[in-house]
Amino acid sequence: MPLFEGLGSGGEKTAVIVDLGAAYTKCGFAGETGPRFIIPSEIKRAGSPEAVRVVQYNINTEELYSILKEFVHLLYFRHLLVNPRDRRVVIVESVLCPSHFRETLSRVFFKHFEVPSVLFAPSHLMSVMTLGIQSALVMDCGYTETLIYEGVPILSAWEALPMGGKAIHSVCGITMLVFSSALVDSIPEDVVEDIKVRTCFVSDLQRGMKIQEARFNLDGSAERPAPPPDVEYPLDGQKILHVKGSIRDSVAEMLFEQDNEEKSIATLLLDTLVKCPIDTRKVLSENLVIIGGTSMLPGFLHRLLSEIRSLVEKPKYRDALATKSFRIHSPPAKPNCTAWLGGAIFGALQDILGSRSVSRDYYSETGRIPDWCCLSAPLPDSVYEAGKMPPPLMKRAFSTEK
Amino acid sequence: MATLLQPEKVLYLVRGEKKIRVPLSQLYFCRYCSELRSLECVSHEVDSHFCPSCLENMPSAEAKLKKNRCANCFDCPCCMHTLSTRATNIPAPLPDDPTKTTMKKAYYLACGFCRWTSRDVGMADKSVASGGWQEPENPHTQRINKLIEYYQQLAQREKLERDRKKLARRRPFMPQAFSTHVVLQRQRSGAPISALYGLSLKEGEDQKEITIESAQALDEVEPLPEDYYTRPVNLPEVTTLRQRLLQPDFQPAGASQLHPRHKHLLMKRSLRCRKCEHNLSKPEFNPTSIKFKIQLVAVSYIPEVRIMSIPNLRHLKESQVLLTLTNPVENITHVSLYTCEEGDPDDINSTAKVLVPSKELVLAGKDAAAEYDELAEPQGFQDDPDVVAFRKSNKIGFFIKVIPQREEGDVTVAFKLRHDFRNLAAPIRPTEEGEATSEAIWLTHHVELSLGPLAT
Repeated sequence: MPLFEGLGSGGEKTAVIVDLGAAYTKCGFAGETGPRFIIPSEIKRAGSPEAVRVVQYNINTEELYSILKEFVHLLYFRHLLVNPRDRRVVIVESVLCPSHFRETLSRVFFKHFEVPSVLFAPSHLMSVMTLGIQSALVMDCGYTETLIYEGVPILSAWEALPMGGKAIHSVCGITMLVFSSALVDSIPEDVVEDIKVRTCFVSDLQRGMKIQEARFNLDGSAERPAPPPDVEYPLDGQKILHVKGSIRDSVAEMLFEQDNEEKSIATLLLDTLVKCPIDTRKVLSENLVIIGGTSMLPGFLHRLLSEIRSLVEKPKYRDALATKSFRIHSPPAKPNCTAWLGGAIFGALQDILGSRSVSRDYYSETGRIPDWCCLSAPLPDSVYEAGKMPPPLMKRAFSTEK
Repeated sequence: MATLLQPEKVLYLVRGEKKIRVPLSQLYFCRYCSELRSLECVSHEVDSHFCPSCLENMPSAEAKLKKNRCANCFDCPCCMHTLSTRATNIPAPLPDDPTKTTMKKAYYLACGFCRWTSRDVGMADKSVASGGWQEPENPHTQRINKLIEYYQQLAQREKLERDRKKLARRRPFMPQAFSTHVVLQRQRSGAPISALYGLSLKEGEDQKEITIESAQALDEVEPLPEDYYTRPVNLPEVTTLRQRLLQPDFQPAGASQLHPRHKHLLMKRSLRCRKCEHNLSKPEFNPTSIKFKIQLVAVSYIPEVRIMSIPNLRHLKESQVLLTLTNPVENITHVSLYTCEEGDPDDINSTAKVLVPSKELVLAGKDAAAEYDELAEPQGFQDDPDVVAFRKSNKIGFFIKVIPQREEGDVTVAFKLRHDFRNLAAPIRPTEEGEATSEAIWLTHHVELSLGPLAT
């Protein structure tokens, strides 16, 4: 212990940890208990009145490069206040991130900011690091999608559903326009987000089922349970947006409604369990971890657990899954910062951080970031661990779109 | 007329990694490489930190310790304005005599903009004006520190292994280290340490094992309280997302838990040329000073072209445009202009042909005293009246002829500006006797002017 004590005892400077999410970016330093800043992932440009989203996968490389460059510039010089050249970088990101985005991001960091090294860490793996357990089933309910992933060290079953905060915002916005009396044509998205955060919640299972039935009105007699009280939301300091109570509890229902393919967030979890090898199922079902900003809605966790427990009785799952016990972990951070915290814990391990990152020299020699499924390049021994994880047994599960 | 003075009308081309066209006022000039540099081709560095409200400089070591926050100033958690400390007099018992009361000063924080006070969140008034306010601590700090220690131990082992087995085949050790190391909550007899690939603790390493409890998973989660469905929402009491995200550790949902945070610092930036690593811009240390220690901006080295007047431009008709050229340095500068040749790769935007004066233009040096001298002495330059319209100390006005080639759209012309540059502070070289202290280098810049739309 005394030999290796002390992080700041003249050793390397602490690494910078960045979690680039679709809606919000968490940035801070390694070894700290929380991110320094959680800022929206967008930049304001002189040309357009609306902010430009940073995490976009469909735009061309040049545009993405300049947007990312501006955003990372803001991160370093307005929020973190450090020199980019001095500190290693750990980027916590989703595995579904296209290679093109990852490569542009690494080009921004290496060529423009000249950081010493970059490590791309999968967000789900990092969240497990905050718990000190071996494996877990991690569900990330974020802005654009909900993604399930499995623990260390196997990436075998993953599932994703394009249903997240963004979907809630659009449903919420539309229903509010229809139902409420407002004098505006359209409500900007950040207002919708604010209304969602402050007034909406997730009802428990019985109530939720009744709301869903009333909406689809299958037998014509289902009655909607009494809605919560309405809210008067001031808009722009002049107008008042009347948010009907029925909106407050019904918008979150769409996360749990089963659409035509009978998929909802809860079935996502169960489907993943079915895909896993049988002997791991019990361990995984008792180690559930839920991260992501959307899961911070009041009542979300309770509802999710009840949904899973009720769905497991359905014929589809009853035979497939023998395990019936589900347990949820509570990581030592808020769900939207859990992945960041894992990255910070990993970034504090200075001994191995260097060997596992892609260094600037390696990048300038080869010009690429080794991807987690890239088995082809004959890497020299010293940079073998530059990949994020051991090469998985199965090939890449999705296609890269440019 | 003032629109002609806008900087975006005259653009200079910077040949960096990418070709950027920027007004001269936004460029830097590296005197050692003798090239123009824009903000994109220099590396930015943090120079010094200071608090924006008390304007106090903070050394970088202290800034790191305080997490880049000022020790004295606070931000209102509701509206992000700076908080001010207010004092009231409260009666308090004397320490000597409990029966008598005396007026003591009590301080509290208040926001002048949204009227938030520290009493709203239940923070007690302090008896010292500054330094008494503490930020609440994250309850998970201990657990996180333990986790970090534990993982560090694993990382050390991996590093030792790696160092020893440098030539052997690689396997990532950390995940496997978990399986033999972690004491699970199940009844798994702790695997003997020697199972870890024969790693034995040598070199007097500490035998103490740090094991941590794995996190316990919960069976039940708290449901929503029943009155959630019926209770009306008190909007001012619920925090907005922005207010919550300002405190990432706590993210309170209720406004009565919003504690103020110390104010975040700002920083001053210094710029450095990427090629020669010399500083191009270095600000003063003092936060209140706007001067620079090193300021190698382009406008103080490169002659600046500005548009003075534009006549009506007609398609395919030659018209004369009046431009001015200003000499920023103190010695005489010779400037020649050239038209861009056919097929010049830099010349992509011009929509008109331009005829520039073929003779060399001479600019007088900038004389600081000349502006106070009313009687300008004749400078003794022989100027061709067709080319040079006027001359005033270090500025001349000259004509160029423009022939718009397109029927519609803005007229843009481009030409090359060649001038001599005397590097007065060249890198230290052994100067031989009898040689001129500085030699003139000829620099060429590509300049683009946008002259506006055609006259209808």
